Amino acid sequence: MGVEPKRWRDAQGEHIDVRGLPPPQPLVAILRLVHEVQDDDGVVIVHHDRDPLLLYPQLAEIGWRAERLEADADTVLLRLERDP
Amino acid sequence: MKRGGGAFLAGATSRLLPMSIPFRFFGAAIVFHLLAWLALLAGSSRLPRFAGGLDWPLAALHLVTLGVLVMTALGASLQLLPVATRQPVRSTRWPAAIWAVYTPGVAAVALGMGLGRPRWLGAGAVAVTLALLAWAALMAANLRGARGMPAVVMHGWAALGALAVMLVSALALAALYLGLPLLDRSTALALHIAFAAYGFMGLLAMGLSYILVPMFALSATPDERQAIASCALTVAALGLAALAAFGIAALPLRLAALALGASAVALHLHLMLAALRTGLRRALGRSFTLVRIGWTGLAASLLLALGVALDIDAASTSTLWVLVCIGGWLLSFLLGMLQRILPFLASMHVSRSGRRPPTPSALSAQRPLALHFAAHLAALAGLALAIVADSPALAALAAAVGTLGAVALAAFFLALWRRMHARPPKAPSAKPPVA
Repeated sequence: MGVEPKRWRDAQGEHIDVRGLPPPQPLVAILRLVHEVQDDDGVVIVHHDRDPLLLYPQLAEIGWRAERLEADADTVLLRLERDP
Repeated sequence: MKRGGGAFLAGATSRLLPMSIPFRFFGAAIVFHLLAWLALLAGSSRLPRFAGGLDWPLAALHLVTLGVLVMTALGASLQLLPVATRQPVRSTRWPAAIWAVYTPGVAAVALGMGLGRPRWLGAGAVAVTLALLAWAALMAANLRGARGMPAVVMHGWAALGALAVMLVSALALAALYLGLPLLDRSTALALHIAFAAYGFMGLLAMGLSYILVPMFALSATPDERQAIASCALTVAALGLAALAAFGIAALPLRLAALALGASAVALHLHLMLAALRTGLRRALGRSFTLVRIGWTGLAASLLLALGVALDIDAASTSTLWVLVCIGGWLLSFLLGMLQRILPFLASMHVSRSGRRPPTPSALSAQRPLALHFAAHLAALAGLALAIVADSPALAALAAAVGTLGAVALAAFFLALWRRMHARPPKAPSAKPPVA
């Protein structure tokens, strides 16, 4: 995959930083992580440099939702979790 | 701070065209798809041994290529490229104007061919050329500003180069029907066929696959160097084919072009199959069965092209090549992708209104798609048998089955449109869901 996204874990959940990656790598990396954590009802925090428009239909398809969190002007910070 | 779906997406809508623009291209493609099968039905008695000239089989071919394949490529590229290349939509007027000129242009080309009216054909060809040049300018601006994706960008530039040759050769062929010999017919025809099928449409299909296939299969991005090598081999093959079209060592250069083309295709299919094999999402449904059938058609078309180059049973081989290359590869591949893309785009657009977007699968009517799938494959098989057996009756039956499939696809599109515009459930105000 060329440049790999950065990943780490903290109290908020599983973080993934896909800033700077060309399409469709961010989308694929985020959805692969969602697939990894979905059995544990995990939460994914996405650090992105743009609004990932193509992500939302894919999330909706697997019963997940996205919520925007406050972040710097040049960062889109998303909290992904299973849709209750 | 938490924000609701509408506000959330509003900041990004500059990369999305208004829904009506891409969907007017897709809607026109659905209509032209139906008209293509009807035109084939009208010309079915001449189809098995069709050898060119203004007639309904030629009109049917161009309703598929210009009306379905290129029309869809225009709509998809105008919508997806700004999203993929992270650039704002530069203009909404130009895409709308392109559609307004291109659509009647395609209709005029088809009617001119079917009814044998060279002036209609000429007028249509000019309109189509102007629209495609305007689209090429928008595409070039997008490609110039693209960051990353070198393989996709290279395919885009190569497709634009092939488009130029395709348009010049198309205008030369149309001019011949108007009594203006700008270029030798066999040269113009050879250039037109190679640069339209494997050049413009083929390179666009292969380039967009490097985004779409990993996106749907959830796989790693295919190796960029191999993808670039595949594109370079395709361009080299087209270059040799162009020299052969001008009569320079025609047979050896055609064979060399086919060898390079086969290498390019082998590399491309190796990357695509690896993406499908390693992707998280294995069950990709009927749409990707159509895509796989399309890839089989691509490989088979090169074998048939070899038969044409070696003049093996030329009467049916060249007609079979058209069927396998355009119907088997490009149309199957594109319709498979379209069935995947349309519900995603629809869902993406609905979420702009600030309400919970319907899932792509909830927007897809499965029964019409199942009927289309069966009818499309049966029609292609029937046409192949009709060509081999030189049977106009079988060709008519296959065209009728294809028409049924086109009606089913139109039903899928109408159902999608209705579901998109269905009254939405209100999003809860406390914590509006985005996806």
